[in-house]
Amino acid sequence: MTRAQYDYSSHTLVLTGACGSIGRAIAQRFFDSGANCVLTDLDQDSVSAFADSLDPTGQRVLALALDVTDPAKVDAVMQASHDRFGPIHALVTSAGLYDDAMVADMPDAQWQRAIAINLDSVFYTCRAAIPFMAEQSAIVNIASLAGHRGSRAHAHYAAAKGAVLSFSRSLAVELAPKIRVNAVSPGLIDGPMVQNLLSLTGSHFIDQTPMKRLGQPEEVASAIAFLCSADASFVTATSMHINGGLYIAS
Amino acid sequence: MSGHPDTHTGRVALVTGSGRGIGRAIADRLGLAGAIVAYLDHDPELARQAADEAVKAGRVALGVSADVADAQAVARAVKQVEATLGPIDILVNNAGISPKSGADGKRALTWEMDIDEWQRVVGVNLTGAFICSNAVLPGMVARQRGAIVSTSSVAGKTFCDIVGIHYAATKAGLIGFTKHLAGEVGPYGITVNAVAPGRIDTPLMRGTASAANEAAKQATPMRRFGTPDDVAGTVLYLTSGNASFVTGQTIDVAGGWLMT
Ligand SMILES: NC(=O)c1ccc[n+]([C@@H]2O[C@H](COP(=O)([O-])OP(=O)(O)OC[C@H]3O[C@@H](n4cnc5c(N)ncnc54)[C@H](O)[C@@H]3O)[C@@H](O)[C@H]2O)c1
Ligand SMILES: NC(=O)c1ccc[n+]([C@@H]2O[C@H](COP(=O)([O-])OP(=O)(O)OC[C@H]3O[C@@H](n4cnc5c(N)ncnc54)[C@H](O)[C@@H]3O)[C@@H](O)[C@H]2O)c1
Repeated sequence: MTRAQYDYSSHTLVLTGACGSIGRAIAQRFFDSGANCVLTDLDQDSVSAFADSLDPTGQRVLALALDVTDPAKVDAVMQASHDRFGPIHALVTSAGLYDDAMVADMPDAQWQRAIAINLDSVFYTCRAAIPFMAEQSAIVNIASLAGHRGSRAHAHYAAAKGAVLSFSRSLAVELAPKIRVNAVSPGLIDGPMVQNLLSLTGSHFIDQTPMKRLGQPEEVASAIAFLCSADASFVTATSMHINGGLYIAS
Repeated sequence: MSGHPDTHTGRVALVTGSGRGIGRAIADRLGLAGAIVAYLDHDPELARQAADEAVKAGRVALGVSADVADAQAVARAVKQVEATLGPIDILVNNAGISPKSGADGKRALTWEMDIDEWQRVVGVNLTGAFICSNAVLPGMVARQRGAIVSTSSVAGKTFCDIVGIHYAATKAGLIGFTKHLAGEVGPYGITVNAVAPGRIDTPLMRGTASAANEAAKQATPMRRFGTPDDVAGTVLYLTSGNASFVTGQTIDVAGGWLMT
């Protein structure tokens, strides 16, 4: 895809959840735009294989295993990124977990896991990156439509994503004007994360979407590429929906 | 995947209020990205000048003069643009006014405002967006493509003591306009979004007393006024293939000011 390009040569991206469907599209987009990419996800073999497919020479990629719920590991990743590529220009938190449970039946452990993966991790990752961020750099946290509207059988996930929105705004104020911080809120994006929902609800959500289709992971990636670019030079503390009009209330 | 073309090259854009200020920066930026631009302004001299400079820089452009509040004038202008440049693929509803009065460079208070002033602001800022959209949409719907972006304001989302009630109401109105129209035309592959600038350094902003502007700057986390180019970057994105699945949204370009 030859989308209006942003030039990220000699920039460095640090990405969590890099092996997810949206994560892969983000990595691809930044890599194609010239960036060095520090790719992290739970499983070393998967993230190494993905990095290898992006850049067989290995020159512009660094693949690291990372459980984002472990703050010491997160700190170590930022250090390793800096050792390899220097200051960070773009930090994107894409690791996430979306599972189903009604509040009445939700065990403590499931709640805590959702909060840890979807919210605590964003705090750990941003905190660890701050000392290594370049002048005029950007952070984008991936929230969700659920964080604005709520979501049946996903109260844990929606609560965490809503918190990511207000965390991002607060951080934006703390880090201005050096670092811009924004959130993106995808709607229904094609990939494994939405398959269960679609199999339960059929065409309901696509019927409800003015653009009459699912989003593509690349469309989330291009919003993030914009928010990290000089074109977004005065955009901070915002959240951007990528949902084809499914939710246009905020 | 349906969506906007990958580049702006060859796409015809009509930008209202583009003789100067934010509109001028948007139009220039779209042109630099390859779009063929119609500079529409109430002031014929400003429209002509802006288009001349674009042409001198090697771009294809046309200056047209019309009052966006005048449906017949807009219909004529759209006809002229489409006959000269081709079908309009991008519409930016940017023309706007914010009348100031009084020694403090602020606005008329609601109980002192005459109805003519109210109606003029509604006519330009809100009805103008309707008139222009109404004129270009038949073509966009028929071709099943297009992007519309309107210039709202953070003053349409919260209280802002330098603007009048007409301005706040019309800028809020543009947000509802954007949401509704996005729902109507989404099935045709047309996106509709808005930008909500904070305090942007333009002749309009300089109409306000400097103390009020300074206070706004201090309340802006990025500690500066925005530039017209800051806004243009977001409009470029919203009209590009990068934003094919973004619709119904209002993006703040405000340096974190008010965080609406
Ligand atoms: N797909 C959608 O429709 C959608 C909608 C709204 C928001 N989102 C959000 O977008 C982001 C990416 O979603 P996706 O569709 O790519 O999902 P995905 O399930 O394909 O990818 C998520 C990735 O996060 C990784 N991950 C999970 N737990 C982790 C942990 N503890 N440490 C490190 N990595 C971990 C997984 O291994 C996986 O690779 C998530 O934050 C998600 O909540 C997605
Ligand atoms: N400057 C700011 O701080 C700021 C903040 C938020 C929103 N905005 C909005 O941005 C838009 C552009 O503002 P600006 O600051 O560049 O203003 P500006 O006054 O510098 O430029 C506005 C241009 O619109 C033209 N115009 C005015 N009325 C018109 C009409 N009826 N028909 C056609 N053209 C007309 C003017 O001739 C002028 O060239 C406006 O909608 C404004 O409300 C500005």
